[in-house]
Amino acid sequence: MTPPDSEQQEFVREFVQEVRELLEGLEPDILTMEQVCLGDNVDEDEKRELINSIFRLFHSIKGAAGFLKFDHIQATAHSAENLLDKIRIGELTLMPEHVDLFCLGCDFLKEALDHVDEFFEDMSLEEQALETKVKLDAALEYPLSASASDAGDVGGNPPAINLDAPPEERPDLEMVGRFSEECLELITSVEGSLIRVAEKNGDLDAYIRSVVRGLRTLKSNCDFMGYRDLEKLSYYMQTVSESLRDGVCLTPDTAPDSLLKFIGMAKEVIVDISQGKSGSIDGLGIYLDMLSDFLPANMRLGIDNKPSEPERLGDILVAQGAVGKEDIEKALGIQQKPIGEILVETGVATPEQVDAALVKQEEVKKQKKARKRNGAATQQDIRVNLGKLDALIDLIGEMVIAENMLINSPDLDGLELENFTKASQHMTKLVRDLQEMAMTIRMIPVAGLFRRMIRLVHDLSRKSGKKVDLQLSGEETEVDKTVIEIITDPLVHILRNSMDHGLELAEERTANHKDEMGVVRLSAAHEEGAIVISIADDGRGLNRKKIRAKAVQNGMYSEEEAAALSDSEVYQLIFAPGFSTADKVTDISGRGVGMDVVRQNLIKIRGEVEVESTPGVGSTITLRIPLTLAIIEGMMVRTGKSKYILPILSIRESFQPTSSMITISPDGQEVVKVRSHLMPVYRLHALHGIAPDATRLEDGILIVLDAGRRVCLFVDQILGQQQTVIKGLSKYISEHGNVGGVSGCTILGNGDVCLILDVQKIIDISQVDKNDCGAKSYLVEAEGEGIV
Amino acid sequence: MAEDDDELWDDDEEDTQKDKYLIFHLAGEDYGLDIAYVTEIIGIQKITEVPDMPEFIKGVINLRGKVIPVMDVRERFGLAPVGYNERTCIIVVDMQDMAVGIVVDQVQEVLDIPEASIELPPATGKNDRSEYVSGMGKVGEDVKILLDCQCLLSGKGDEEDVAGSG
Repeated sequence: MTPPDSEQQEFVREFVQEVRELLEGLEPDILTMEQVCLGDNVDEDEKRELINSIFRLFHSIKGAAGFLKFDHIQATAHSAENLLDKIRIGELTLMPEHVDLFCLGCDFLKEALDHVDEFFEDMSLEEQALETKVKLDAALEYPLSASASDAGDVGGNPPAINLDAPPEERPDLEMVGRFSEECLELITSVEGSLIRVAEKNGDLDAYIRSVVRGLRTLKSNCDFMGYRDLEKLSYYMQTVSESLRDGVCLTPDTAPDSLLKFIGMAKEVIVDISQGKSGSIDGLGIYLDMLSDFLPANMRLGIDNKPSEPERLGDILVAQGAVGKEDIEKALGIQQKPIGEILVETGVATPEQVDAALVKQEEVKKQKKARKRNGAATQQDIRVNLGKLDALIDLIGEMVIAENMLINSPDLDGLELENFTKASQHMTKLVRDLQEMAMTIRMIPVAGLFRRMIRLVHDLSRKSGKKVDLQLSGEETEVDKTVIEIITDPLVHILRNSMDHGLELAEERTANHKDEMGVVRLSAAHEEGAIVISIADDGRGLNRKKIRAKAVQNGMYSEEEAAALSDSEVYQLIFAPGFSTADKVTDISGRGVGMDVVRQNLIKIRGEVEVESTPGVGSTITLRIPLTLAIIEGMMVRTGKSKYILPILSIRESFQPTSSMITISPDGQEVVKVRSHLMPVYRLHALHGIAPDATRLEDGILIVLDAGRRVCLFVDQILGQQQTVIKGLSKYISEHGNVGGVSGCTILGNGDVCLILDVQKIIDISQVDKNDCGAKSYLVEAEGEGIV
Repeated sequence: MAEDDDELWDDDEEDTQKDKYLIFHLAGEDYGLDIAYVTEIIGIQKITEVPDMPEFIKGVINLRGKVIPVMDVRERFGLAPVGYNERTCIIVVDMQDMAVGIVVDQVQEVLDIPEASIELPPATGKNDRSEYVSGMGKVGEDVKILLDCQCLLSGKGDEEDVAGSG
């Protein structure tokens, strides 16, 4: 196993924490079960409920371990589950010995967790794991019931017994929810691995093994929940993946792709299930036949379904060709001592071979032990209803306002209140902390979102015949949950675009001395109080000429205007609705809808999108998204008697102009020159019809705003920076007009309502106004060339 | 609406909000609003103007941490605006979960006007303002103009007003 990166470590810690909690519930249950079942008056209902609850706990542990590929933990939990199943359906009567065994299992799991928490792997736990597992498995046959032979078959034959079991209540909704959640996670991971397999990218064996593991867990999950069709489908997929692993698949080239298709189907079924449908699959027989076609004849019926236990000592020996599989299995059957000794004793391996293998195993162990135990502090999670969380955040927002009102209360004006000031500063700090804390609660890493893109890129690459390497970075970056939901679509569209228009076909790339394999980089990072997500490809870059021509053709600009547009303005054109330079519409893209969606969605969350592109080298699309949606860092400005808040993120600088900096173009548009850049000036008081203090630019302040292009906003005064809780303007307002250049409002410390300006809208409005007054914008644009 | 709010509206004649109207004074006339819509009455306070709105929408106010829009009935009816004074009130009405403040000259009382004493508005056909009127309530010698709250807020007269202000 490769050393886990920090993100995986995080997953593992979560896992350990989760399982520890499960175990905490498990042990008391096991002991209660003993009392209930062995007591004189057996309450059947209570008993069944207890057993089911224990079963669920073991199952959850198994599922979680399977997802993180802790095979030994998974296998042990599985054995315990099997034994419990037998007891549940009445094939075995619960004996005190069984209870001891379950406790033993718990003990092992606890030990394993400590180990995992420290070293992030469970490979070196092999011996204890086997010991526990063998004991548990042996107990399956202990009272020698008629069907005991089935018991050894670990999940192989889907236990038909479940069908005969007393009619269980339908699994409750919560369980279905968890089941589908778990399965979807599994499927995503299996998909990821399968894609690697399909692309023949990296360590194929490892990926195939992880596919097999994933499918196996999927299968047993479905079995547990009683979704027969899904279980069968996963079982067949698992068998096909096993045939791939063992190299006996009849058509190894096409199998991964078909598996992907079926996985997709399974995903849909699970989504159906989560929405309360039955989960049956129409035409299941045909699909199963299709899957069977990949299998050699001997695997089609009695499929060998031993769980794979890679990289155990025995496997290492098998891989080295020192011993055969059967020998290992024989040895395992009689295992009381370490497997190495048995192999030597039974004469199937020489002591040297075993030693060599042991050395290898030790090395791994040592490496891990060298690492100090860190972060032993336990991390505890609870699930919280999102509504409650939002209510909390709203309340905190109100509190920020109330705090401001209190501290800036006009009653305090002119008073020297030393203690009050001290206390209020303390309070201010606490409230800020509280606010930040509340915000982080809603944050989730973008990893999940990025992972979904792997599948998308894979499918697109298949469709378009372009080879792509999708590189992800910054997956641990945390973003507000709502933001994730809103940027999913834009990401999809941008990736589609990159794939379809950006990347060239392999021949073209080779001709341009580029690597045949295109690269798309998807990265996320925190930057200046915002989240920056960028999608970079190394394709042909945007074709400025074509975009300009198209803009002229669409009547958006005259030819001269188009020619005068700066590069970044040209790039912004691709976000216009219906704008596409594609010569033909493909099923991937070309209708000019996608990039419009990108912009619309980003506007929704007050984000920005920037495009950079170099012909022949590639394009980068950068999404800049505010960290939170509820609070912005704002700059308060004043014009006349009105106060406004400007989002700090869009402010680049501010200054008091001198008359030499100002030029007035013949049409009356004021233009200001800052360090060789020319920017148009918009007067805030004119936009909102306010009587200003200063009418001459020299008497006021110019604020340089950046929203794709830079403009100056003229105000009377800058009042200062402050945290601004955003409130929407009432629906009533938006029904009665398009609020000019205002995105919302906030309540100030003194209780006044203050409007928050929307920089993009201000620019848009100003441009519309200009167009009304004739074609004067052209001159400004021409002068403004090269600003950005 | 809310016919079962017995305890809250303990009244001599009927324990309901039915037939009850909040009477306010505006430019020499008395108007009535169905009390079911009214949530509270507050004094006039600082209104933040919102740009690009029709004239009758004065802006927004801070109602205990909630930002609600405010409209001026005078301007809604096309009457000459007067300066606000200490008698000026904002009636906060709740229409489909949307709170809106209505500025009136003076709030007077809550009156019972049984359905029997309400007549349909005279169909003059002259004035669009009659759109807002749901009926004429006769109280003794006086006549109160009963307003249709829904029309008043979002009513049909809108397009004209918007066009007029633009």
